[in-house]
Amino acid sequence: MYIARASGLHQLHPLTKVLLTFCLLIAGLALPGNWTSYLIILLVIFPLSVWGKVFPNLLRITWLVSLPFAISVILIQSLFWGTGTPLFEFWIFAPKLEGARYAVISLGKIILVMSDFLLFSLTTRPDALMIALKQAGMPSSIAYIIVTTLQIVPSFQRKGATILDAQRSRGLETEGNLFVRAKALVPIVLPLVLGSLMEVEERAIAIEARAFNSRQTETSLIEIPDTQLQKNFRTVILIVMFLLIIFGILWRL
Amino acid sequence: MNITISDLHFSYAPNVKALNGISLTINAGEQVAIIGQNGAGKTTLVRHLNGLLKPTSGSVSIGDWDTTKHSVAKLASKVGYVFQNPDEQLFSKDVLTEVEFGPKNLGYKKNKIDQLVKRALELTELTGKQETNPYDLSPTWRKMVALASILAMDTPIVIFDEPTTGQDFTNITRIANVIAELKKTGKTVITITHDIDFCAENFERVIALSKGQVLLDGSPREILGQEEILAQTYVDPPQLTRLGKKIGLQETVITPQEFLKALAQRAG
Amino acid sequence: MAFINIQNLTYQYPTAKAPVLQNINLQINEGEFVAVIGANGAGKSTLCYALAGFVPHFFKGEFSGVVEVNGIQSSQAALAEWVLNVGLAFQNPFNQISGAKYTVFEEIAFGLENIGVEREQMKSRIEAAMKLTGIAELADRSPYSLSGGQQQRVALTSILVMQPKLLVLDEPTSQMDPIGTREIFAVIRDLSNSGMTVVMAEHKMEWIANFADRVIALKDGQILLEGKPNEVLTSDVLAENGFGISRYTSTAREAQKRNLWKKDSLPVTLEEAVEGFRRK
Ligand SMILES: Nc1ncnc2c1ncn2[C@@H]1O[C@H](COP(=O)(O)OP(=O)(O)O)[C@@H](O)[C@H]1O
Ligand SMILES: Nc1ncnc2c1ncn2[C@@H]1O[C@H](COP(=O)(O)OP(=O)(O)O)[C@@H](O)[C@H]1O
Ligand SMILES: [Mg+2]
Ligand SMILES: [Mg+2]
Repeated sequence: MYIARASGLHQLHPLTKVLLTFCLLIAGLALPGNWTSYLIILLVIFPLSVWGKVFPNLLRITWLVSLPFAISVILIQSLFWGTGTPLFEFWIFAPKLEGARYAVISLGKIILVMSDFLLFSLTTRPDALMIALKQAGMPSSIAYIIVTTLQIVPSFQRKGATILDAQRSRGLETEGNLFVRAKALVPIVLPLVLGSLMEVEERAIAIEARAFNSRQTETSLIEIPDTQLQKNFRTVILIVMFLLIIFGILWRL
Repeated sequence: MNITISDLHFSYAPNVKALNGISLTINAGEQVAIIGQNGAGKTTLVRHLNGLLKPTSGSVSIGDWDTTKHSVAKLASKVGYVFQNPDEQLFSKDVLTEVEFGPKNLGYKKNKIDQLVKRALELTELTGKQETNPYDLSPTWRKMVALASILAMDTPIVIFDEPTTGQDFTNITRIANVIAELKKTGKTVITITHDIDFCAENFERVIALSKGQVLLDGSPREILGQEEILAQTYVDPPQLTRLGKKIGLQETVITPQEFLKALAQRAG
Repeated sequence: MAFINIQNLTYQYPTAKAPVLQNINLQINEGEFVAVIGANGAGKSTLCYALAGFVPHFFKGEFSGVVEVNGIQSSQAALAEWVLNVGLAFQNPFNQISGAKYTVFEEIAFGLENIGVEREQMKSRIEAAMKLTGIAELADRSPYSLSGGQQQRVALTSILVMQPKLLVLDEPTSQMDPIGTREIFAVIRDLSNSGMTVVMAEHKMEWIANFADRVIALKDGQILLEGKPNEVLTSDVLAENGFGISRYTSTAREAQKRNLWKKDSLPVTLEEAVEGFRRK
């Protein structure tokens, strides 16, 4: 998902970004106030993404992945919210003011998680992350799993597109009403899943053949620049995160 | 049904130009082999024929259909395309269902489907494996299933992208038989291949691509002897063509039969 | 003592009903370039996996007999140690990337990082290896956006760069263009001349005949024939068992029947064919 750009955010040490990402997440969940998530998105994540020159991409993907959640949350609230100030009634839908409020608030949390995660993955090279995690003392197999998991979405997209092409070439209609699309799902999802299972096995052979599990001390091709300033900054983030968690617990007691 | 390609250009991204002005007409019933070095643009070219890719500029028509005006699913009734990697299309619980999928999508009648499927399974020697799950077959046989699943669509044009890669002698012969059978029934066959001997022995027209352009186009005899030009696109002439030249045979020979005939003539 | 020593190797995959390799006995010397031929399903890939240690360590199953490389038995060694001496490029190029790297250059570095090669040396080794296999210009491309032939070269380079003592290659040129194939064979020949031992499963008889020292013909998991290319590839046994042979050999055999080929032995290379067919 990474997008190569020359920006200050891109040049930050991956660990700094990992910590920042978690810190923002925790802030959004721990701090009181119904609109905190939205504030963090508007005042921190969006400006950071402008700094990282990925604002349009962030906005677009966040919109795409949040939309299905938004629709389902709103639907469910307007169907099942019991009592409250009715907004309007239509057929089986009877949304209440309180329900709508609740929907918007919980959506804030979802959008925060999405955009926070996207900000990180759009501006951090997966391999740099892997090296940074290993240097920080994480076992390489765990670092590898984290990094490849982060790439699952683009890898599924790539494969999905090829499979879609193959099935359309066999006359499968994929454009049209919901029913047509639903029918097209099986011939596309099944090869994707089976193919991924096969890929997992072959990947395992490929990395094993290249001494992934050997006990030698590892080196790295690329250097990941780090600065004292960033190290200090990371300590500060860690302390802030700790305080946020304590605060969150106390607040809820 | 003719294929008309005029001044076709295609770029994957602004700086990744894959096709650079290709103009070709392929007549109904022709057996065409496309050869050329890795990255020459062979796959990119054939992906335009069923609309998977749309020209950046220029045009591609199948009969009187402009490929930009029809969906891939609709074009599938005219152009069958066997992908290089079978694992990108197999999904059914057994071979029979897999092969029926295409003709069903095209809306053929039940007994026509049954006939076509039976024929496709026979041609690929899959009869007897109908009830096997495609994923329990070896990669070689999976390739045959993918091939059968396109044959059963009974399209006037059939495209094979590198059908011979990684295949053994028996399978290459099997594929050659399928192509011969398609020729007999008047289908157009377009095959990408690196196996130049296979190309010499099974096709009546060869198109050599290089860097997104047509380098050579003509009968195998005209094209496959041109060693220096073919080398530009990383292709060697067929084994017997090279041999014939080295031992000083007068004309260009490309198949074993021709070679033996020329040899007999020389011996008098 | 031979560099590779296989004795009574019999192997059955865990899900299979019958062994795929049966009683294989084979000795290979250091620096030899050995080609393994056979129909699809003959067991070529499985033999490659057995040499590379993935059979039985990765695939499990029933393994008996001995596979010994450089004096060590595979069953006695850990796979993680075994792969330091034995490099494997397997059949499918599409899934042979680490999935954790961003450019081709870094992809090739993956193995060197794992064995702890120091940075400057790593760079020069990668550059040299990429030049050898002709992919220098792909250095900054993403490993995902390559064509099959290019991916295959990347997979090969990723293993070559680790300089294993034994190089095991499973159909490494299947997706490559004809002259590219010949060039890769020539590179492998050079490596073997400089002391690397190479075992390669392949179908391309002309280049096997030109470059390999020895040919092993497998059929249904057993060794059918073994010997020098010009012995094995011209044998009647091969033709009778449905193996593909080069046009030089098949045409000369036909010519022999018509009294147009006068020599006793059949040709396997262009040079030998020219030699025999040239007008005296
Ligand atoms: N999906 C893609 N994205 C970007 N570049 C591509 C893609 N597919 C192919 N290319 C590039 O386009 C060129 C032509 O590729 P292709 O048509 O696959 O060649 P061929 O089939 O002749 O080997 C190559 O340089 C290749 O790297
Ligand atoms: N992972 C596996 N599990 C079970 N059977 C397998 C596996 N891999 C290969 N086989 C079977 O073992 C036999 C030999 O396969 P293989 O070594 O891949 O042959 P080749 O490389 O010569 O085509 C085939 O019948 C194949 O179906
Ligand atoms: Mg291609
Ligand atoms: Mg194999």
